[in-house]
Amino acid sequence: MQTETTPKTERRWMYAGYAVTILWGISLVVARLALDKELQLEPTWLRVAAALLPVLPTAVFLWFVVSAVRGLDELHRRVHLEALAIAYPLAILLLVTLGFLQLAIDLSPENWSYRHVWAYLPIFYCLGLVIAWRRYR
Amino acid sequence: MKNRLRVLRAERDWTQADLAERLEVSRQTVNAVETEKYEPSLSLAFKIAQLFGRPIEDIFQANENNGTAKA
Repeated sequence: MQTETTPKTERRWMYAGYAVTILWGISLVVARLALDKELQLEPTWLRVAAALLPVLPTAVFLWFVVSAVRGLDELHRRVHLEALAIAYPLAILLLVTLGFLQLAIDLSPENWSYRHVWAYLPIFYCLGLVIAWRRYR
Repeated sequence: MKNRLRVLRAERDWTQADLAERLEVSRQTVNAVETEKYEPSLSLAFKIAQLFGRPIEDIFQANENNGTAKA
């Protein structure tokens, strides 16, 4: 059983979480702006570098999330597990449905490409958290 | 599974936060156990029993209808 649940530790994790999330968000925005078609960033390796820019911040974000979950107590861990159990099938449902719709009709990549769909994943996770917490409150 | 955690805590005049700190869990966990919405792990149940100096079966009792824990 992990014990890092004191208010001081929670605050430390919260601030670290904000910092990591902001860093991750900035890297996404910078990459997106750098890859804007109107900017026409050249040469190609620079565009690839811009596309890969969020990889390291995402890895840090991933490390943070895993570390934070390991520091949670047993109820919080269960809540996050249930949230994932809700979010994961929802994500599969979304991707499968979009895949089938793509076969049925022409889905514009301008509206339904990977860069648009990923934003639904944290939404599903938050939805899962809300549903899971309702059970234990 | 039923438990007497709220009664035992009240006898000592502890808040949920006090108990949570002693058990090294969150206050939400204490609340969920007290309201019987969450069944603690065996290790946490032993920790609770140790804290109150009572046998584990004196604090936690299985439901009479099936004698097993609810999922």
